[in-house]
Amino acid sequence: MAGAALVALALVVLWESRALPLGSLRNPGPAYMPVALALALLGFGALLIVLGKGTPDVSSVGWTEWRHAVAIFGVCAFAALALERLGFRMTIALALAFLLRVVERKGAIFSLVLSIAFAAGAFLLFDTLLRVPLPRGALGL
Amino acid sequence: MNRSRAFWLVVIAGLAAVAPVLAQEPYPSRPITIVAPFPPGGVADLTARPVAAAMEKVLKNPVGVVNKTGAAGAVGMQFVATSKPDGYTLLLALSSISIIPEADKLFGRPPAFTVDQFAPIALISADPTILVVPANKPWKTAADFIEDAKNRPGQISYSSSGVYGTLHMAMELLSHAASIKLRHVPYAGAGPALTAILGGHVDALASGPAVVLPHIKAGKLRALAGWGDKRVAALPDVPTFKELGYPDAEFYIWAGVFAPRGTPEPVLAKLRETLRVAVGEGDFKGAMDKLETPIVFKQGAEFAAFFEADARRLAEGVRKVGRIESK
Amino acid sequence: MAETLHNLVLGFSIALSPPILLYAFVGCVVGTLVGVLPGVGPLAGISLLLPATFGLDATRAIVMLAGIYYGAMYGGSTTSILMRIPGEAASVMTCIDGYAMARKGRAGAALAIAAVGSYVAGTASVVGLMLLAPPLALFALRFGPPEYFALLVLGLLVLAYMSSGSMLRALAMATLGLLLGMIGIDQMTGYFRYSYGVVELGDGIGVVPVAVGLFGLAEILATAGLPTPPQVLRPALRELLPTRQEWRDSAWPIARGTVLGFLIGIVPGSAHIISSFVSYGVERRLSKRPEEFGQGAVAGVAGPESANNSATSGAFVPMLALGVPSGPIPAVMLAAMMVHGVSPGPLLIREQPGLFWGFIASMYVGNLVLLILNLPLVGVFVNILRVPYPILYPSILAFCILGVYAVNGSVVDVWIMLLMGALGYLLRKLGFETAPIVLGVVLAPMIEMALRQSLAMSDGQYAIFLTRPISATLLGVGLVLITLGLKPLVTRSLDWRARLALAEKGDEQR
Repeated sequence: MAGAALVALALVVLWESRALPLGSLRNPGPAYMPVALALALLGFGALLIVLGKGTPDVSSVGWTEWRHAVAIFGVCAFAALALERLGFRMTIALALAFLLRVVERKGAIFSLVLSIAFAAGAFLLFDTLLRVPLPRGALGL
Repeated sequence: MNRSRAFWLVVIAGLAAVAPVLAQEPYPSRPITIVAPFPPGGVADLTARPVAAAMEKVLKNPVGVVNKTGAAGAVGMQFVATSKPDGYTLLLALSSISIIPEADKLFGRPPAFTVDQFAPIALISADPTILVVPANKPWKTAADFIEDAKNRPGQISYSSSGVYGTLHMAMELLSHAASIKLRHVPYAGAGPALTAILGGHVDALASGPAVVLPHIKAGKLRALAGWGDKRVAALPDVPTFKELGYPDAEFYIWAGVFAPRGTPEPVLAKLRETLRVAVGEGDFKGAMDKLETPIVFKQGAEFAAFFEADARRLAEGVRKVGRIESK
Repeated sequence: MAETLHNLVLGFSIALSPPILLYAFVGCVVGTLVGVLPGVGPLAGISLLLPATFGLDATRAIVMLAGIYYGAMYGGSTTSILMRIPGEAASVMTCIDGYAMARKGRAGAALAIAAVGSYVAGTASVVGLMLLAPPLALFALRFGPPEYFALLVLGLLVLAYMSSGSMLRALAMATLGLLLGMIGIDQMTGYFRYSYGVVELGDGIGVVPVAVGLFGLAEILATAGLPTPPQVLRPALRELLPTRQEWRDSAWPIARGTVLGFLIGIVPGSAHIISSFVSYGVERRLSKRPEEFGQGAVAGVAGPESANNSATSGAFVPMLALGVPSGPIPAVMLAAMMVHGVSPGPLLIREQPGLFWGFIASMYVGNLVLLILNLPLVGVFVNILRVPYPILYPSILAFCILGVYAVNGSVVDVWIMLLMGALGYLLRKLGFETAPIVLGVVLAPMIEMALRQSLAMSDGQYAIFLTRPISATLLGVGLVLITLGLKPLVTRSLDWRARLALAEKGDEQR
């Protein structure tokens, strides 16, 4: 499975490299290293498929936590989308509130206080005091 | 369920309540951001900070610097090009602003931004590059260097800050003006390029005067000529290529302030006036003095003319270099 | 010698004056705070905080930056050990065994060893810096592209020793990392590679989001949803300190790491990052119980942490002796000096003795301040593990986003971290190690650039690698390593890896 994915990736890289000049051994072009590496990956991937008897199969690995993983991943994706639009404080407060309240089912007041305090505190410490610029969003928040 | 809904209401209401009421107010009524498209400690950053401080004093309004770095400055420049033209997001750009779109064109890729997306406000500084060689090399003058390069085409090597970077362009303009061929070894930035020549791995370098002056004084490097209109004040004995008969070899590492195109004229006028006063401030002069960077202030039509002439030279330079493919 | 001593006294008289000491202390505290942010290591720390020092005078600013720099380094190892979040690329190796130790309840010991190791390495390398800087700096400058290439190839060979599992899997992961490192502008020709119009990808995918994603985020994704969340560890006070055995096990790794790191560090460029990887490989190779690596071997914390610290001090050698911006961190320091009107260069030591020796002395002081600051804090930090995981991990996530964003002010970096988190989670489930990917991403652009620069220098002649003495020597060492690695094949004696595999097989059959 993993081996097949690596082989597929290597083929994609080879395909995508066709637009770049390959150059020569004495004067390698922009595609030289990527192509060489993709060929190596192709080989390793194939070897993994052939020799990979002992490796755990996808279905045999426990995936019990996938719901959590997807929820956390979703919250992070939301944060990445919102960070420069809503500003740091609002994004982080919302993301934390969601994780604590909905995903982890903590108390409403506890979640609210912790997320707002965290967002405001981190902003105060890093942006205001240490002058590490954090996004303020369209509304200046 | 009720409790949960109440929870979200509180979250959203609380966040909304702190939002300031946005209204039409005279410019500037909130903090201005100057984007420096290079990391802290680089020329753009080191120029932007005193500019911001001096503007803040003149405007009595906060002016901050944000570093948006990446892709040789293209990330920060694109950011400003596409931001709201309201005078609250400005760009402190270096010469590379005219090189990047040209290189994009050369490779036939959609440009990250174009020069027309900016309204030039003012030029802050312009420093010609100078040609330096290791002190143990035989060339005593620029004429020696050029003659040797003609005798041994492609044998004399130079380091640069990267392909199509400012230091590369300066050398290319010289190569074409003097019809010589040099061997280019690009490095990832001006710092590594300087380290390379000090380590004796290359034979020449075009560089801003400030960073190489201490090494010239210490006798490690020798300055042969400058790309400027006039000689560099700190090196009065070093001629310019213009004096030597290569008028096309003219190049400056300059820093200027730009706004996104479409910024209202009254705002631009206010910014021009602010910068004019700001560069006269004692603190600002002191800061630039410490960086050993001469203040060259131009605004309005004068800056536009300088910018256009420079952009034309560089565009031509990029086209002459062409795509770097296998020889 | 007497002169050096005299100068050092001058330096200490400056560094120990109360206002300067205060700035060193503030720098250390601030550096630790910023360094705790995932991804924010010494480089990001001093670049982010550089503007905050512009208002100070030159000596104070430099001393404070030195403090920030050390603080950020210490802060990074703390998160690596407690939460498996690398403070920077170089802490990746600390994550592996440090976190494994924390899970076994030895977090306090790991933190203490890391702090003491960093202190020893930091102080020893400043001594080296002071006494050997001028001759070493000249040697370091002889490292041009060919020498650099040879050094990096040596670094790659270390990969082979890095994984605890199968060599094939490690190589596949390293190749994947090297391929990821190919994304971005080709620095030799200006072509955009695999960036699909995303301008931010021009500089390639940064090591920081990759490391934080593959380690920190992947860890959270895999652990947060476990039916039985990781138990809250309640370390007793006496468990905070390393045992006598742990001290004994880390003494030599600290010493070796210090020397190794310093030597790699003085080479101009960004090679100092590989010092912790190399140290880890060396320690595992020399260890009597290599199978413990990855399961919480104390040598796997002590070696890399020391190497990391002395490498970054080593990077100051060319800067201080010759005024050369020989790497990213020295470049920022030089910029800070220029802002204050100190023109850095070969004459710096003569023209600004107060600043130079004050800086050297404050490096000693900064190291000591951090040790004093950090050892008592070990108890406090370990208590973070008492916070129940469902409350802890959302905050860690927020810090990951904050740190990765802050380094470049780029949302694209946050996305890269996310994708790498997902990749790391999947690979982890399938039993792949992710450290080789990080090393690959670090090495790829450097190796390619060095190779092509060398060929540009020599006009395509590969002989350049053999005619230059340093690169020829390094490649020779590499050849010896390969030969040693192949020896078991010839003599048919099993190395530990094969023994381990046999043992595992036995377990399965039972």
